[in-house]
Amino acid sequence: MSPHHLNPSSLKSRFTTRFLRALTNINAQNPISSSSPREILQRYRRIKVAADKSMAYSVRSRRTWSRAMRWKLRSRSWRQASSVRRLKITTTCHQAIMKKTAHERESKTTTGEEVGFGVQTDGLRELVPGGEAMDICNLLDETAHYIKCLTTQVQREQIAS
Amino acid sequence: MENQFFLNAGIPPPARPLHFGPSLSSPMPAWQSLSSAMEIQVTEMNCSPDQSQDCFLNPHWEKSTDYGLQFDSALSSMVSSPAASNSNISNESFMIRELIGKLGSIGNSGEISPHSQPLLASYLNGPNSTNTSGYSTPLNSPPKLSLPMMDSLVKEKLPSLEKSMGLNSSVAEFSADPGFAERAAKFSCFGSKSFNGRTSQFGLNNNNEIAAYRSNPLRADTKLPRVSSSPSLKAMGSQVGGVQGANKNSPLKDRSELANSQEESTVSEQNPNGDPGLKASKDLTSRKRKAVPKAKTKETSASPSANAAKVHDPNEESNEKRCKSTESNGNENGSVKAEEEAKGSNGNAGDEKQNKTNNNNTKPPEPPKDYIHVRARRGQATDSHSLAERVRREKISERMKLLQNLVPGCNKVTGKALMLDEIINYVQSLQRQVEFLSMKLASVNTRLDFNVDSLMSKDIFQSNTTLPHPIFPIDSSSASAFFGHQPQQNPALHSNLSSGTMTQCSVDPLDTAICPNLNTHLPPINQFAQIVPQYPTFCEGDLQTVVQMGYGQNPSQEMAIQSENLQGSNQVSHMKVEL
Repeated sequence: MSPHHLNPSSLKSRFTTRFLRALTNINAQNPISSSSPREILQRYRRIKVAADKSMAYSVRSRRTWSRAMRWKLRSRSWRQASSVRRLKITTTCHQAIMKKTAHERESKTTTGEEVGFGVQTDGLRELVPGGEAMDICNLLDETAHYIKCLTTQVQREQIAS
Repeated sequence: MENQFFLNAGIPPPARPLHFGPSLSSPMPAWQSLSSAMEIQVTEMNCSPDQSQDCFLNPHWEKSTDYGLQFDSALSSMVSSPAASNSNISNESFMIRELIGKLGSIGNSGEISPHSQPLLASYLNGPNSTNTSGYSTPLNSPPKLSLPMMDSLVKEKLPSLEKSMGLNSSVAEFSADPGFAERAAKFSCFGSKSFNGRTSQFGLNNNNEIAAYRSNPLRADTKLPRVSSSPSLKAMGSQVGGVQGANKNSPLKDRSELANSQEESTVSEQNPNGDPGLKASKDLTSRKRKAVPKAKTKETSASPSANAAKVHDPNEESNEKRCKSTESNGNENGSVKAEEEAKGSNGNAGDEKQNKTNNNNTKPPEPPKDYIHVRARRGQATDSHSLAERVRREKISERMKLLQNLVPGCNKVTGKALMLDEIINYVQSLQRQVEFLSMKLASVNTRLDFNVDSLMSKDIFQSNTTLPHPIFPIDSSSASAFFGHQPQQNPALHSNLSSGTMTQCSVDPLDTAICPNLNTHLPPINQFAQIVPQYPTFCEGDLQTVVQMGYGQNPSQEMAIQSENLQGSNQVSHMKVEL
């Protein structure tokens, strides 16, 4: 592991515990009967959500991407709860926030910020949750942390599988 | 003697006979070298590129013959003060500043003090300020500038200045001359930039200047251009003040510790010389230095505005604008901001000093701000924008290096664009891995009893087993590709293992099973490594056969797994194509 990871007992353990809890919950809710692809897909989605959620929550909003991911998950759950009003509110709020942050980003770029990266940063912004709202400097920071957490997640899932 | 001086400066001597006594003989050579040094320094300064780079002393001495008396008084005072200093540059520049101070203080003899003070203050503004336009108003406004300082100066020169009462008119025209204003501004720019305006008060800060300026050449003798844009000098100035004011040092040093600690150390080494003479003025200078860092915050932008009524308005306005404009920038520009604000508040320093002595007594120093002080490198542009951009660039490059360490295989890639591409690919591959693994978890049926401890122990295994992977023979040149799909290989192995060992439901046996199984799977991984380049061509059915070939396990049990493996591995194959 790279030396500048978090304290191994903190992020990893947090993620592990949450993830395991989520997995057991899912297993308890849906007892594994057959292995039809559809059910597997459903479980897959749930597990994926559980993994994302557990990772985002174990980072505890210290990072922008974790906040964005949590927001996404929450809005998704609201959407699934099929409350139209809540959906509208959340989407409008989100759009407003995104517009505002996009404006901020544009204004920052127009103030003589270095634009040597241009195209590639857009790709990175799409990948990293919450990346649209950040300037390059913070985006790189968030990317580094996000990569670190993703590797943790992958390792844990590998072990768990 | 004055003829020599003027000739050196390239100016005809004034018609009026100058009363240079024999005591002035010693500083005369210093004057000559001073003028040349000033020339050099002024030319080197980038502070006012639009203004001419002539020697400061060139222009106006020829224009008025009444300046001779001013020289007299100035030189007399300069004789007295620079006796303590020995270093060349400090002497020379100090004497120049003395000259200006005395010239300004000449007006203090009569009722000119209100005029000369704002003039001086306006002179001390940076090149950004509109000195020429501000000259009309200073003459009208009676500011309460650092009167004690000027009083002392006045007392010094009263005997000599009695004859200069007739200079009122000369000072007026002296001051009203916009050309001289330019020169003074330029010099003040030079001076202010060298001291960040902290020690610009001539009378009281003579010794401060000695110390500060002495430290300057000691630190950066050949790097005077760096002086122009270095907020570290502000730190130095603050450090000078901090050294001076022992009882006020604690708050000051908190702030001065904001600045480069290196510069602190260098300055503090050199400052002890100036300690004895600095105590007298430490109060005001410490106040002033408190004032200038306070200018960083919005509160202090309000305080200059509060003092604006007392001081000439245009300078305040320009300073306010500068404060606000700089504060609107991000923190990265903090260093630049501080520098600009220091420049801008130079003119207000004298004005505010008196006011702030009362204010700052009650206000505790504000918590240090998170400024990053940047020193302009030699040969680089020194304006605020380029400084800020340089800070940004360095930040970004530092983060790119961090990312390079995180992303495997990025060491060979140079250049930001390629690095960013690699990073994007890596993040995509990680996300796909997560998806794949969660899919695998969804399909695995038997994992009901999760043991956290076992997972923790597996973590150790995992970290150990990741190490031998690079040993595998890799056909493709990109190790990152191998790393990318290696984790997918392992889950495939694990899934096959688990399917093969359906009876072993518990996790614990798998602990022991993993290592030897991994070892047994090392050879198959070689096969996988060879198969890797062919992955893009595989369709789903082929993958099944490959897996079966690799392990020879029960195909029926593997169908379920492979069906979901395929979904993941198709993604894997796509990823490999990209890689």
